[in-house]
Amino acid sequence: MKMKVILVRTLAAGLNVALATTLAVPPTAHAQGGPIKIGLLAPLTGAASALGKDMLNGTELYLDGIGFQAAGRKVELIVEDTEGNTATALTKARKLVEQDKVHVLTGGLLASTGYALHPLAEAQRIPTTYPVMSSDDLTQRKPAKWVVRTGWNSSQSMHVFGEWVAKTLKYKRIVTIGLDYAFGWESVGGFQRTFEDNGGQVIQKIWTPLNTNDFAPFVTQIKREADAVFAVFFGRAALQFVKQYETAGLKGRVPLLGNGTTTDESVLPQMGDEALGIMTALHYSAALDNPANQKFAKAFEAKAGKIPSYYAETCYTNARWIVEAVKAIGGRVEDREALLAALRRVELRDFPRGPVSIDRWGNPVQNIYVRRVDKVGGKLQNSVIATFPAVSQFWKYDPDEYLKQPLYTRDHPPCPHC
Amino acid sequence: MDQTRVMRASVVEEASPGPATGYALELRSVSKAFGGLRAVDDVALAVRAGERRALIGPNGAGKTTLFNVISGELPASSGTIMLFGRDVTRAAVHRRAALGLARTFQITNVFPSLTVLENCLLAVQALSPVKLAMHRPLGRYADLHAHARTTLEAVGLGGRAGAIVQHLSHGEQRQLEIALALAGRPRVLLLDEPTAGLSPAESQLMAGLIKRLDPAMTVLMIEHDMDIALEIVQHVTVLHYGRVIADGTREAVKANPLVREIYLGA
Amino acid sequence: MSSGLAAPAPTLDRKVVAGFAALTLAGVLAPALPAYPLTLLTQAAIVAVLAMSLDILLGYTGLPSLGHAAYFGIAAYTVAILATERQMGLAGCLVAALLLATATAALFGVLAIRATGTYFLMITLALGMVVWGLAFRWVSMTKGDNGIAGVPRPGLGLGWSLAEPLPFFYFALLAAALAWAAMGVLVRSPFGLGLKGIRESESRMRALGYNVWLHKYLAFVISGFFAGFAGVLWAYYNGFVGPADVQLVTSVETLLMAALGGPGTLAGSALGAVAIVFLKNFVSVYTKRWLLILGAVYIGVILWAPRGVLGAFTREPRGAR
Repeated sequence: MKMKVILVRTLAAGLNVALATTLAVPPTAHAQGGPIKIGLLAPLTGAASALGKDMLNGTELYLDGIGFQAAGRKVELIVEDTEGNTATALTKARKLVEQDKVHVLTGGLLASTGYALHPLAEAQRIPTTYPVMSSDDLTQRKPAKWVVRTGWNSSQSMHVFGEWVAKTLKYKRIVTIGLDYAFGWESVGGFQRTFEDNGGQVIQKIWTPLNTNDFAPFVTQIKREADAVFAVFFGRAALQFVKQYETAGLKGRVPLLGNGTTTDESVLPQMGDEALGIMTALHYSAALDNPANQKFAKAFEAKAGKIPSYYAETCYTNARWIVEAVKAIGGRVEDREALLAALRRVELRDFPRGPVSIDRWGNPVQNIYVRRVDKVGGKLQNSVIATFPAVSQFWKYDPDEYLKQPLYTRDHPPCPHC
Repeated sequence: MDQTRVMRASVVEEASPGPATGYALELRSVSKAFGGLRAVDDVALAVRAGERRALIGPNGAGKTTLFNVISGELPASSGTIMLFGRDVTRAAVHRRAALGLARTFQITNVFPSLTVLENCLLAVQALSPVKLAMHRPLGRYADLHAHARTTLEAVGLGGRAGAIVQHLSHGEQRQLEIALALAGRPRVLLLDEPTAGLSPAESQLMAGLIKRLDPAMTVLMIEHDMDIALEIVQHVTVLHYGRVIADGTREAVKANPLVREIYLGA
Repeated sequence: MSSGLAAPAPTLDRKVVAGFAALTLAGVLAPALPAYPLTLLTQAAIVAVLAMSLDILLGYTGLPSLGHAAYFGIAAYTVAILATERQMGLAGCLVAALLLATATAALFGVLAIRATGTYFLMITLALGMVVWGLAFRWVSMTKGDNGIAGVPRPGLGLGWSLAEPLPFFYFALLAAALAWAAMGVLVRSPFGLGLKGIRESESRMRALGYNVWLHKYLAFVISGFFAGFAGVLWAYYNGFVGPADVQLVTSVETLLMAALGGPGTLAGSALGAVAIVFLKNFVSVYTKRWLLILGAVYIGVILWAPRGVLGAFTREPRGAR
């Protein structure tokens, strides 16, 4: 019978831990006067842990600044590690909602996490914000009532950029190269659509698998008659691609353009002169010279020891966003409908990224900045060279018409000039 | 379920009589080459049903290789192997076993982390369709257990049924080695040095066990201990560098000068 | 003599008793548990089925598969696709998912079974990657990297909804218990003994008259079937199926669960699964270094209890009997 005893003991020990952690939640959690709880999902371990760190630092920076107090109540931040895995993120989201009884659920990195959290937010009726996850359809063809996006969507800045490249740079023929999955497809799709609507031609589309280590075979495929190359990468892939683009002798001969993450501040400090001159577009740059960003960037550098990436800014802004909504309803976060409505009503002019409002699908309407990598004071930065105010996720298109079109994918829009 | 079904099952693939050669096992110019080395070279061998025969020869003569070729573990490079008149040259190991061929291994080859009884059960169910049954526990098959117990009693392991095999003595493991071969009630039994590593007393016990085997069973054994071998068998085949150099009654082989020179020494 | 006839090793009986005790305890305590621990118990029950299914190969047959997430994932995807796009009910989803997972295992088995040892590991890994690639790239079917969200919990037509944590926990627990019982009978059957024999000595099994290939192949397919069963439960439990469910990490984690608890003991694999699910989700609350702790646990087990935690306790004393 020894086995039985051991099994029973093990199980009992497990349950003890379970009960202890749940009972640690004060019984007053529901009552007004307890802390306002914000549950943050971030990849703190695994391949994306550096981004998770930025997300956490950005969030904490704002809450630190207000002394973890809002509308006369204490604010409690509960952080859970997603390991950059959607199944784990779902389990942790359930923990935050069911056990910690958070009032607002926020965070997440992967597009799939966004889609997976949608039904959970709806079923649990939990006000939720997405500061990072950028999949177009999260606020287009598959919006969720309980979800407000405080970040951006993949094609939003690319619509602006495609048109700007065609009209201002007057490039005619462009080769695109990007990560072969939804984020890459949506970024390339948005760029291609407006670039071609304004007279340009995408003459070649190259897709690289997510785990590509060596981009040389892809770079050598690039058609040399292109006026420019448009790239969509992030993280390690961005570093490697930009380096190998130079190694292949293309830098200086065929200008390099990109989406915002390709030269985001999460990778820019690790790049060298090979990155100089790359032009990209995003809703943020650490080099924005408005007062709110100056203050934020300085404080973030003091806290984290590095310049803020868009992940840091968006989580800082997201935290403020939540707090503004809480203040608007006088701290009565237990009224979930009211909190959700307030989250959708937030409209502020002085976020680090600039003024922001929310459209009725739950996506921000915000400035898009065209940036160029420059060296200032010996350091690389994304200098803003053009600003497009109040850009909607539908750009200049009619939302209803836009939504009748399919989502940007590997094969949509098609490539008539390839 | 009953005893008879298992009994029937164990002979279910009884060989069709085939051309009446009258031999239980027949090899016609069988060779096995490893690269350029002919480990078994043009061997002819014919063993009558019920015969007891020893296969002898110095180390490296190709005896174990020949066993592996007969059992099917190694494919023959050329030649023909007949089992009860049926050509099994290309048959898989388990097919030959189903025709009634069983073997032991020179280096004990049993199931070390299972019990003695489980080892024997594996052998008992091997030739019955029951081996693929997965819908009820083995404990329910009382007939299999009974047969396994009987086999263990027969080799003197009756009292060790519950022991884990790796805890057995070497002698007991050799006994189990034989038990596994006998459990399927084979008609041709290949014994590869059954007394390897045994003390003289244990070797005598093993010899007694082999002598008591069903007289209808055909036995071909590799044995280094000449006294043991000549005590058991009537016929001897001598292998040297893969070739048969002598074949006949034990007296004839004993008297063969070539054999005396290269093998029996002195 | 007769007393010894129906005699599987007594340790097995103890494990069965302990298993039943654990299941009953979990069932009785469940209503008293808050939602989140209940969620984790549900997850543990499902993952335990996956770990046990792998143990049929790893622990009983001695075949370390590194592609087990494939059958799990194919079943989960089948349920997700049929339930969201065709609004198919439990019975239809279950049958289709099990058929597809088993058929995949039947196909992969033909390719993998001839290999042994490291080669078997490599080939199952490669086949697992193929399925991951499909999940990731066949966007029109699987929605690619976005995964399939919003898989509804099945209706049983019994008046209570499986959408609530407690009824779904009982549903998962019952399903896991059934799978455990079925696999338990399998490993104790004549066929199951044959698997252990193959693990110990293939050449002896051949000599005895076993078609070793067939035995291994059947084990491979059956293992895939039960992994598929776990996949069905997983799709309903999580409501979401994505490429991460079929990726290598899932296969590796499953392998570790089976190894942690003790390969060759179903209860051990289940215990390993429960331990890892709780370790992952509770330790991580207290420390960000929880991966380090998990790694230390693995290394400890490999060094001091290579037969797993349960194996360490059930080891036969030297020279027993």
